[in-house]
Amino acid sequence: MIRDLVSALDYSMFAELALALFVVAFATMTYGTLRLSKNASDRFASIPLSDDVEDPRP
Amino acid sequence: MATGTPTNGPGDAALSSDSGTEEVRLEQFQYDDGIVRLFATATIVWGIVATLVGLIVAVLLVLPSITGGLPWFSFARLRPLHTNAAIFAFAGNGIFAAVYYSTQRLCKARMWSDVLSRMHFWGWQLVIVSAAITLPLGITQSREYAELEWPIDILIAVVWLFIFGGNFLMTLIKRRERHMYVALWFYIATIVTVALLHVFNNLVIPAGWFKGYSVYAGVQDAFMQWWYGHNAVAFFLTTPFLGLMYYFLPKAAERPVFSYKLSIIHFWSLVFIYIWAGPHHLHYTALPEWASTIGMLFSLMLWMPSWGGMINGLLTLRGAWHKVAADPVLKFFVVGVTFYGMSTFEGPMLSIKSINAFTHYTDWTIAHVHAGALGWNGFMVFGMLYWMLPRLFQTKMWSEKLVSLHFWTGTIGILLYIIPIYAAGLMQGWMWRAMDDTGHLMYPDFIETTQSIVPLWWLRVVGGVLYVSGMLMLGLNSMMTWMGRPSEYENPVHTAPRLSKSYVDHTPTPTSSIDDAPVLELGKKVSIWSQMGWHRRWERLPVRFTVFTTIAVVVATLFEVIPTFLIRSNVPTIATVKPYTPLELAGRHIFVSEGCYNCHSQMIRPIVSETKRYGEYSKPGEFIYDRPFQWGSRRIGPDLAREGGKQSSFWHWTHFENPENVSPGSVMPAYGHLLTEDMNYDAIAPHVKVAAYLGAEYTEEDLNNTAEVAYKQAEYIAADIVAQGGPAKAYEKQAVALIAYLQRVGVDLFATEEPATPEEPVAPEAVEGEEAETIEEVANGDSPPQASSEVAAAK
Repeated sequence: MIRDLVSALDYSMFAELALALFVVAFATMTYGTLRLSKNASDRFASIPLSDDVEDPRP
Repeated sequence: MATGTPTNGPGDAALSSDSGTEEVRLEQFQYDDGIVRLFATATIVWGIVATLVGLIVAVLLVLPSITGGLPWFSFARLRPLHTNAAIFAFAGNGIFAAVYYSTQRLCKARMWSDVLSRMHFWGWQLVIVSAAITLPLGITQSREYAELEWPIDILIAVVWLFIFGGNFLMTLIKRRERHMYVALWFYIATIVTVALLHVFNNLVIPAGWFKGYSVYAGVQDAFMQWWYGHNAVAFFLTTPFLGLMYYFLPKAAERPVFSYKLSIIHFWSLVFIYIWAGPHHLHYTALPEWASTIGMLFSLMLWMPSWGGMINGLLTLRGAWHKVAADPVLKFFVVGVTFYGMSTFEGPMLSIKSINAFTHYTDWTIAHVHAGALGWNGFMVFGMLYWMLPRLFQTKMWSEKLVSLHFWTGTIGILLYIIPIYAAGLMQGWMWRAMDDTGHLMYPDFIETTQSIVPLWWLRVVGGVLYVSGMLMLGLNSMMTWMGRPSEYENPVHTAPRLSKSYVDHTPTPTSSIDDAPVLELGKKVSIWSQMGWHRRWERLPVRFTVFTTIAVVVATLFEVIPTFLIRSNVPTIATVKPYTPLELAGRHIFVSEGCYNCHSQMIRPIVSETKRYGEYSKPGEFIYDRPFQWGSRRIGPDLAREGGKQSSFWHWTHFENPENVSPGSVMPAYGHLLTEDMNYDAIAPHVKVAAYLGAEYTEEDLNNTAEVAYKQAEYIAADIVAQGGPAKAYEKQAVALIAYLQRVGVDLFATEEPATPEEPVAPEAVEGEEAETIEEVANGDSPPQASSEVAAAK
């Protein structure tokens, strides 16, 4: 059944569909990332600089 | 298990804290640097081995007979050893050293299990040693970067996924740092995706302890292999190295990464995009057009995150460039990241179909991968090691000058390697396509095109010598530094509170900025969702993060895999394409074992210069019995897709004995052992049985009397060789099987349906008179391919 279903699909638009899927995912992630506060971003970025636990921790 | 001594102490405070009722305790722990020392040492040792073998194979190209025809040291057997050693031994151990050092510190926790850490180390070394033994012996799948046979593949899966992956994931779960730093994301993606790629690409049906046949055939095998092959580059040589970069570059520069936000975008973009890009390795082949196009499209999109990552790495050094001038560690990192930028610009460019038509199969690809491997992977590992070694051995580097000398030797070595090979690739591309005014090939003799680049291959050897010299300097410097270590390593005890299970996020509950606006409730919910608090939560939840990363990779994979496997029109069958005879199958096994794909492709693209040189372009239906596919990725020698019937059997015999006898100027080594080692007919049956199990149609006679069937065909070919003036009793030797296979390659397309009543098998002693003349015609290559096919069918 899956074989019949997939065989019935028109894959001529496949590349465009994949591109649209990526663009949606990418735009969502970029938007979310840009909403990250500078304070949090700076704290996260500095994690590797110390081998000890920073307190208060995020 | 991790050592931790709980003591009572103050709890977390401020932004996020534990729930009010839970008592918070401080725990003491020590980082396990012993395992890092082991992996760092293995990185150096295997790095020397990998580059030395690389140098040997470079020399074998210009001096093919230097090993005296010893089969274990032929170019085609050693090249996979070089690539596997460079990727899985050198880069692999480098990755593990980086992961074990940085994960513990980013998680503020010792690795979950010291036992699993040691099992990982010794298990991985066992994999490497097994590869080093089996590949020169010709025990190989002959699929690029997936050459190892199934018992070793099972060992890899266990060591990678259950031992390494399990230990890593449990360390994340037991960590004491709430936020998972971006380097850990890259490690998660690496572990998950490599496991997925490795398992699904290596699904085989065993035909013995040392041989497995892929469950995929032809086009589908090619698709799976390059889904794996390209993503091995992506998730073994890129994502873990980016994790390494995001940890060690800030450490060495003593400043945080330029943009943490960019690193998040970098991560998700790579994970989403990379997995789609594999089919760009198969442009203009028998792969369906839609898959090829999608591979190109997503490869082009990779420019964006790759350069984002490079810029993020280089700009981390903002305001610290004066340090770069003085610190060789930073120099290694700067050059490494720059090569990442170069390689990731070039990769998408090579995926553009029109460019790929020119560069594919040429040395350009070799230059490209070495720019990445030597520059990006090599230099990032060197930078990391030179930063870590004084800390691991708790003493100064033995010689800072030697570190600088390594940097300059390595840099010049890379340039001296890649520049001539880029030139060689350009020359090959032009010469293979060049046509005169009358529409004929300007260089019809393939050897002429190879001979013209031999001087450039010599320059590559010089570049390789310099790079290997740098590796030896690293080895010497490390050993001397180790000898200067203290009698006992200090192992500081760190103290940190355990993360509470009931995490309370004190960030204010998100509210919609449009609360007061006259909009639907749905709009307000979308507004809150868009603040992405949910993603912040993911970043604290390793299991969920791992699951979502897996989904991202799997969805992209299924988008390509499902249609490739289920749409029948992707691989139109050809009625005249039949399974290989038992002897041909045995010959194909020899072809695979000898690694002939390292120099010969079996895929004629629908490009005028190729069809003029090699014949009719390859069709998807021609490969349905090819397990594994042997399309290759490089042409040091000519394509063999239409080799059947082109030359006489005795020509092949002579060619194996010494290629220069029939092809003056050939860089192919002699395969004399095929002419001296006996053919074991009793060993063919398992191969035929597995082929039948996988769908090839064999008669009862083929399946039950395999040896006799194969022997009869061998006698026929041996008579053919005798008739040409060759030696007697050729049927006793392995070469006869390989000749049977080569005479069959690519002829089925032109075959006519077999007659209703098969002819009687012809005994060798009966080959006289007219029949002998017929054979001679075939042997001389006078007859068209279908004639040869008919002869094969008669057998």
